[in-house]
Amino acid sequence: MVSSRVVQSEKVAQLYRKYGGVIYSRCRRLLKDDSLAEDATQEVFVRVHRHIESAPDDTAALAWIYRISTNYCLNLIRDRSKQAEPTDVLPEVPSEHPEIAMVDRQLAMTLIERVPEQLRAPAVLYFLDGMEQEQIAEALNISRRTVINRLQEFAERSRKFLSRETEGGIAS
Amino acid sequence: MINTRGHLSAESLDLLLLQALKPDDQKSAQSHLDACTECKVRWAELAEDSQKFQQYVFPRTVQKIEARLVPVSFFERFKLAFVVPALGLAAAIAVGVVMTKPTVAVDDENYIGLKGSQPSFEVFALRNGTQLFKVHEGDALKAGDKIRFIVAPGASKYLLIGAQDAKGDFSVFHPYGSDKSVGIDPAGPRRIELPGSVELDESVGQERLVAVFSDAPVSAETVKAAVTDGKEPAIPGARVISWKYLKEAK
Repeated sequence: MVSSRVVQSEKVAQLYRKYGGVIYSRCRRLLKDDSLAEDATQEVFVRVHRHIESAPDDTAALAWIYRISTNYCLNLIRDRSKQAEPTDVLPEVPSEHPEIAMVDRQLAMTLIERVPEQLRAPAVLYFLDGMEQEQIAEALNISRRTVINRLQEFAERSRKFLSRETEGGIAS
Repeated sequence: MINTRGHLSAESLDLLLLQALKPDDQKSAQSHLDACTECKVRWAELAEDSQKFQQYVFPRTVQKIEARLVPVSFFERFKLAFVVPALGLAAAIAVGVVMTKPTVAVDDENYIGLKGSQPSFEVFALRNGTQLFKVHEGDALKAGDKIRFIVAPGASKYLLIGAQDAKGDFSVFHPYGSDKSVGIDPAGPRRIELPGSVELDESVGQERLVAVFSDAPVSAETVKAAVTDGKEPAIPGARVISWKYLKEAK
């Protein structure tokens, strides 16, 4: 007889085959490092296994694994930002309208490590995933107003940060 | 699917890559992609990452993942410590006995996957960036043609596609440049379009394409050895689809 544990493991291995590529790509975008992304992808699927009994069906499974990968990567980013100051050189931005650059997802990802933790998840879901504010509210179980406030705060902090960096000559 | 900022969401791009969008959504996502530079860039990144995962990351990590999913029980540890070495010794003796006889294996006799669930293999070519056509056995292709593959796993778990050119050189086309077959999802879509395309090189003459479907990884060396004797290749434990085509100069 095949144990339920073995069946569950096979299901996760199938999910890994099927969705591993897109989750790897997502982790790579969030973490900006190939080997961290490779490790993170594996950890995500180990976590998938822990909660496999609550996994939704086929197409919805991707959104569910997305959430697990977002949480895992944001935790890594949080731990990393506690350990050291980010050293990425910020890309050059137009000084007149720095807020326009906020729609650039690469820039958003660079800034995400520099803002308070509660602003990160909404920023990732908005800038990286292209989700709507309502969808973000639902995913994070917060109100749409809170999402808007956090995205505005993210933009505001980023704007200040970019102005400071530009004045200091780092970004140019 | 297309957000208020006029772009495809990450999930839509992923589902498009996985061919999991509804037909209408797929069409609409595809036409948006053709017109939107930003989404095209994200699509290219996603396709590149996904191909890298399939070719390199998945093969080297799947066993680690599987090992972590099923913790080794006390009984299994006991088996690993005492029973497996004994079985290994017995197997080594058995292999020694078998190796003294000529191999008469026909691929289907040794195939471990589901009987009756046949894998299939289709080839499409793009010529001069504009002319797309399906390739059949015996067709002529040209140097510079870009070929892509669509496969139906038929319950097989691993796949390797390779080609032997007129000089006898063997290349692995999928997973490109790899030394062994790659995992495919037997429970996934019935037909899978493999990521990436292969541009045919300048060598001309009769070439042989071979697709090897199996339940366990097969090394490129094994496939190479199977095609080098000029006969229809057969690999124990695998189903092999093979056909020839003529490659002409550009």
